Amino acid sequence: MSDLPPLAEIPVPEPKPDELYTHEFFGEKVSLRGLKRLLGAADCSKAGDRGAGLSAPSEKIREAARAMLGSLTLGHLYERPLVDDAGQVDSVMRANYAVDLPLLESIAGWTVGQFKDWLLAGSSEEVNGIGRALTGPMAAAVAKLCDVHELVCIARKFKRPTHARTTLGLPGTLSSRLQPNHPIDDLRGVTLLVYWGLALGAGDALIGMNPAIDTVDNISALLVHLDKLRRHTGAPTQICVLSHIKTQLACLAHGAPVEVIFQSLAGTESTLTSEFDVTVDLLDEAYRVMAARGPLKDSARQFMYFETGQGSEFTYGKHNGIDMATAEALCYGLARRYDPFMVNNVTGFIGPETHADNFEMIVANLQDHFMGKLLGLPMGMAPCYTLHSAITLDGQQMASELLAAAGANYYMDVCLNTDRMLAYFDTSAHDNQTLREVYSRRPAPEFAAWAVERGIFQTAADGSLVRGPKWGDVRQFCSSDTELQMLVDATPAAYGFGTAGPRPADSVSRQVRLHQAVGREAIESELRVEELLSIAPFRVIATEAADKHSHLASPAAGSRVGRASLAQLVPEDREVQILVSDGLSAEAIHHNLADVLPAVLDGLASHGVRVGQPILARYGRVKLAEHVAQLLGASLVIYLIGERPGGDAWSSRSMSAYLVYRPAVLGESAANSAGNGAWPQFEYTVISNIYSRGLPGLEASAVIVEKSLQILDHHAAGNRLEALLRASTGVA
Amino acid sequence: MSERVTLIGLDFGTTTSCAVVASARVACNSLTGRIELSDVRQEYQSGQIFTPLVDDRLDEAQLGRHLDAWLGQVDAGQIFGGGAVLTGLAAQKSNAAAFIRQTRQRLANAVIAVGEDPRLESWLAFMGNCADLARANPDRLFINLDIGGGTTNLAAGRNGEVLQTGSYFVGARHVQLAPGSYQITRLSSYASALFKHLGIAKTVGERLAPQEVAKIVDWYARLLEDAVGGNLPSQLDAVSAMHEQVPFQLPPAASDPAITLSGGVGQLVYGHLQGDPWPPTTAFGDLGIDLARGLAERPFWQRHLQAFVPTSLGQATVYGLLRYNTQASGSTIYLADPSLLPLADLMILGTISPSSSASDVERLIALASQAVGGACLRIELPKRSLAEIRELAARLRQAIAHLPLATQQPLVFLLRENLGKVLGQYLTDWGQSPLKVVVLDEIDERDAQFAHLGALRQGVVPVSFYGATLGKEC
Repeated sequence: MSDLPPLAEIPVPEPKPDELYTHEFFGEKVSLRGLKRLLGAADCSKAGDRGAGLSAPSEKIREAARAMLGSLTLGHLYERPLVDDAGQVDSVMRANYAVDLPLLESIAGWTVGQFKDWLLAGSSEEVNGIGRALTGPMAAAVAKLCDVHELVCIARKFKRPTHARTTLGLPGTLSSRLQPNHPIDDLRGVTLLVYWGLALGAGDALIGMNPAIDTVDNISALLVHLDKLRRHTGAPTQICVLSHIKTQLACLAHGAPVEVIFQSLAGTESTLTSEFDVTVDLLDEAYRVMAARGPLKDSARQFMYFETGQGSEFTYGKHNGIDMATAEALCYGLARRYDPFMVNNVTGFIGPETHADNFEMIVANLQDHFMGKLLGLPMGMAPCYTLHSAITLDGQQMASELLAAAGANYYMDVCLNTDRMLAYFDTSAHDNQTLREVYSRRPAPEFAAWAVERGIFQTAADGSLVRGPKWGDVRQFCSSDTELQMLVDATPAAYGFGTAGPRPADSVSRQVRLHQAVGREAIESELRVEELLSIAPFRVIATEAADKHSHLASPAAGSRVGRASLAQLVPEDREVQILVSDGLSAEAIHHNLADVLPAVLDGLASHGVRVGQPILARYGRVKLAEHVAQLLGASLVIYLIGERPGGDAWSSRSMSAYLVYRPAVLGESAANSAGNGAWPQFEYTVISNIYSRGLPGLEASAVIVEKSLQILDHHAAGNRLEALLRASTGVA
Repeated sequence: MSERVTLIGLDFGTTTSCAVVASARVACNSLTGRIELSDVRQEYQSGQIFTPLVDDRLDEAQLGRHLDAWLGQVDAGQIFGGGAVLTGLAAQKSNAAAFIRQTRQRLANAVIAVGEDPRLESWLAFMGNCADLARANPDRLFINLDIGGGTTNLAAGRNGEVLQTGSYFVGARHVQLAPGSYQITRLSSYASALFKHLGIAKTVGERLAPQEVAKIVDWYARLLEDAVGGNLPSQLDAVSAMHEQVPFQLPPAASDPAITLSGGVGQLVYGHLQGDPWPPTTAFGDLGIDLARGLAERPFWQRHLQAFVPTSLGQATVYGLLRYNTQASGSTIYLADPSLLPLADLMILGTISPSSSASDVERLIALASQAVGGACLRIELPKRSLAEIRELAARLRQAIAHLPLATQQPLVFLLRENLGKVLGQYLTDWGQSPLKVVVLDEIDERDAQFAHLGALRQGVVPVSFYGATLGKEC
């Protein structure tokens, strides 16, 4: 167990006023004020940094910024901690300053450029351990000077083995974290995905799932189930359910097998505390509890697991003027404090507002891996994407090839690349095996021995580990064909077990791609306004998103009524306003609106509710409802909007109904529900999954009417409404 | 994940009785979008007991004690589904009805408790024994024979759906013997007739000769083989006709069906196939072991029974009850008043669809109005369109308006499509009608005469059926 130095005792230099950095070349002078701007401008152009106004406006200025950054000494960077918007050194930055000062002193006079050259020239033995002298911004600075070859070449020198039940990060290994996510935590589906992954040789790093419901009871039940599967299969690995760290601590206190404890991190304290509800003190507590009471405390050297990824600070508007890569490096500086078993990077997960295309995602992933390894972390990578970005499966595969060359400790196993709960796309067990074969890698030794015993792998004449006769055989873990069928019947996107070499059979790959293609088309589709006008006499308005591209790239633009439409929306004496928008799937509207809208109007009319003329908005986001409610003075906006498509073609037609209520009467209950004593501006009740294989549109209309009437009767929505309903019916 | 609910299965058979208690979760299947019972875990399984009899009547007191022991810690108010059935010759005992009433009380009317329902038994045995196998082999016709003490219940189905049922008085217990010998201790009326037909002039107190045992077993086996093969003549001889409780007809395209067995005799056969030795001669005091041996030695059965072996290996009825007899409604339903539930023994009066004539609709609603305790109607909405719902709801409202339907009288509508709440809303003018309407959706059609609705749990209503009429139309 590592000592955790009290934050207050970590020496941090006093912040200094922003300086002007200047570079002259070819008769031109480029000036940037402050280290944050310099770091931002030196990075390659990424959507999030462009959105934050930190990206260089041209390649010339970017290179000038890199030249300036490369000429600064590491000591210069050390002396200038990046501060938050109030000018303070926050707790995340402070944790980053827990460095080996004598070691730092030995290199403080090197420029960032010299340091990069030293990293390139040095052997693995020479460079390993240098990260102890570095803060996050130093690692970020050198990453910004590296090209793709350098990001790969330097990163592969760093070895960071960790050990729980299995040993990760040993030379020549490539492990995988099996992620059996299921949209409703159906244990049958979870079981199938675990069996499937193990049969493909995945899961040696961890069997870890994201839960659909974050309650102590549910997380405990999932942990017990994963533990049961681990014991049933005999696979030497560790388990984790990726709920909030507080929930996991409560589960551990109740005796659940929290073998490895998980938490998402952020690079600014404001994001970490106000968005992730985590403090450094809480992380310290979790570390100490796991060291004292974790199920693997006597055998594991490490037991904490962090997830990070570029862009969360920007997305929450709490980046403090720090670019995405630097904020990511700050996460690593914090993670290092806890000597984690594994760190997982999920850059690409958020969407096009942070990483617009394959290039941005690939480079960002290489940077993250580089920075994490440099700072001494056991980096696993999850190059991933959502369908509303321009990132593709091919781009993701390019990223994983490069990251394997760079020596990533592990990848995710998201079965057939399709996460069934989070509607995003990640690496798969087939990808892991492909990369193992391309780069001559093996799983963790403990897991490999088990897999050889089962025939999943076998040892070839030349001593290499190759696929065995049971590789890909899911049935081996089931007691009967009927059990397997029962599991399949509860698992979405199970397109087939067929394989071709290390890859899925072509018939399976075609299904995966086809479903993604349908989802993409739904996102790219435009609302057919004329057709929709035949359903209701809509008022058609515009948002601030001028076109599909700005709509997808900027959630803020779709959250505001466009200037040209403002005049159409003035206060009206109506209780309810119906608003319809494409959101992230116009197809969802095309397929459901004719069923939903007329019946909703029937239901509201039968109760004499005053309803405004329905509004149709192209390129709308969820928050648009609030602006519309404010402009019209409506108490309740019934907002029908297309959901973000995932990996299932049918669900690309899925619509949600957001019932957005503006409480008009001040009262204690609403203020209390806001958590801070303030009156909430809006409360939301959401009815989702409205499509033919979820909640059919006609049936959804009755649910929408019923909920809307309850909201109007009780003057509340969301959790407050549900509490009032429970109180009125006496149901606990 | 949702909270766990309790399921029970109680099977009182001709020879033996048993109980299973399980728990399950009520969850939405993310592929189909339908509510279902998942993660079923067996919590308790009783041993097999001989069904206690006193003077050819069910020993109600002893059965009651067994029931109390089996249900032990189960809170009857928490039972979500399953049921209790009295099968075979046990259902023909003179106090069977009284015992059923007693069982219902013990279960607080939470689930069905029925006797003498051969088609339900056939359905349950199929579902409990080979529904999973049939789903895993969707193109294959499966025929399950549940061979108990008094009856053999047949069910044929495909892809987990029962298509046809039948029942014959073929079972182990028609000829009762002193254990360890072939000395007759009791003969059922069916056995007496069969003896006469086969020229076996033996009665109580006398011993059956080996060739006579073989003759009886051969006759039983041939009857079942002919039934399964669709080779029974339309005009049965008198003794065969007497043994036919419910005729079994093969569904269309029934070539090369897969055959499975369940019940006590079925268990013995599968045990033998797995290498278990046969029990000692007439160890159970009947012809069950001989019947099992006879089947296991005949090429017809040898060929079929090795191909598909059910995982339950026998106790099919009780598992059928537990796993399949209760359906969970959809989670968006129309329920005018939750205190209406549970509703037991609702007669299913018929089906109303957009193509039903006005007189049909009026007739069925009029029938419903006469059922003071409530009645049940099936609804079909083939187009699933708003226009169809609006029109059908208007027609139903109109029919109801002409009748003296008491405001407290429950009127239950069942439909397969997930449209229960919207139909209920239109039917009641969006909740403004005082009628006690219940509309439950996502309920698969079961050919049954009665429905049983449990109490609302986790937003869904458990629905069980009995009085199956399956096969009569064919």
